[in-house]
Amino acid sequence: MVEGSKKLMMKCEEFELLGLDMDRSDVQPEEAETAAEHAATCPRCFALLESWRELKEDLRVLREATRFESTPARVEMRLKQELRTRREARVPRRTVRLVSWALPAAAALAIAIGWAQWHKSVSAPLTTTQPQIAAIAKGATNLPAESILLAADYDTGDFTQLPGSMPTASSEEAILQARVQRGALMQFGLPVAPEQATDWVDVDFLVGEDGQPLAVRLHQDSQTEAVMQ
Amino acid sequence: MKIIDEKEPALLKRAVRGDEQAFLALYQKHQAPLYRYALRMTGSPWAAEEVVQEVFLLLIREPQKFQPDRGELGAFLFGVTRNRVMKHLERLPRESSLDEINDNGTAWREPEDPLTPMMLAEKSERIEQVREAILGLPAEFREAVVLCELEEMSYEEAARACGCPVGTIRSRLHRGRALLLAKLELLRDAPRRASAGAR
Repeated sequence: MVEGSKKLMMKCEEFELLGLDMDRSDVQPEEAETAAEHAATCPRCFALLESWRELKEDLRVLREATRFESTPARVEMRLKQELRTRREARVPRRTVRLVSWALPAAAALAIAIGWAQWHKSVSAPLTTTQPQIAAIAKGATNLPAESILLAADYDTGDFTQLPGSMPTASSEEAILQARVQRGALMQFGLPVAPEQATDWVDVDFLVGEDGQPLAVRLHQDSQTEAVMQ
Repeated sequence: MKIIDEKEPALLKRAVRGDEQAFLALYQKHQAPLYRYALRMTGSPWAAEEVVQEVFLLLIREPQKFQPDRGELGAFLFGVTRNRVMKHLERLPRESSLDEINDNGTAWREPEDPLTPMMLAEKSERIEQVREAILGLPAEFREAVVLCELEEMSYEEAARACGCPVGTIRSRLHRGRALLLAKLELLRDAPRRASAGAR
């Protein structure tokens, strides 16, 4: 009884809103039934429904005509190309990233090994094969052994050959820098003025492969004293 | 077979790493509905092709834009397609979207029908009128008609796709249908009025 009165109460405005949805699955069956009953009694809404059904059929044909539409194959080709380009670009990037990490690491490793070898070759004579210089440096200057520094290899400019040593063309000499009292140089056979024997001077010893001192030179400021001739 | 069963986010991950098979599996699954939507909205195969290509290029280049926890890949792709289509429609004057639909020979196919050539021609003309009338609708009404009438989406599905309430979709569809009917009536009555006037 209540439903029947609802059906009678449907107006044309309501039908316009709901009636065209009659055939849709997402419309309540009662709603569709009410709309159908209204259309049966209202010529204007019946005509509207007929027009809509006609259009719906055209829409169906249009839908069917385009149902199997799909993107042209060239789009797939372009996308595949893009994918390949990106994949190829990614490989060098990865290599560059690896190289950018590995090269500094290799360089650091090479420097470390070089330094270790160099340090070994320098410090070994001091402690084992060069007791004479180490003793002089320690005894004559009262400085700790660490204060004897290596200045540079192959820098033989202005060295004075020590008595008894032979000039050498070898490239294996090392230079040891030390601060000593002038008197200590007498042990190498160098003449030192007695009044200056207690003066401190910076000297470089040229040390041969065997750890024996070959030549000596005073630093510029010490040379003004002109002790060694 | 395995590739079809695989979850889309996993496929996408593989695709982004350059796995062509995985990418093609995703592409084949989603391209056609996106293309049809774009084609029906723009009326231009060229524009639809461009849109679909842009959508999948975005997926290749910026896959992080798709977040699986926010929805499915299909919904994401549709959202991107929709944005591109709307931008295209905003950019172009209305008239230019009515370019020839079958200019590449693939966009328009009459279904096989046992009708006489005369009837086929009439039918073809009617469908063309409907297509033009749809393209003549304002974009939001057109979208409701395309999704609900041509893509056969339910109101809920269409509302989800457009990101609006179901009521809005219903209202847009209602107005879209009314406009469509009016336009077609005008189109179909014009020749009748012309022939009546000639008499």
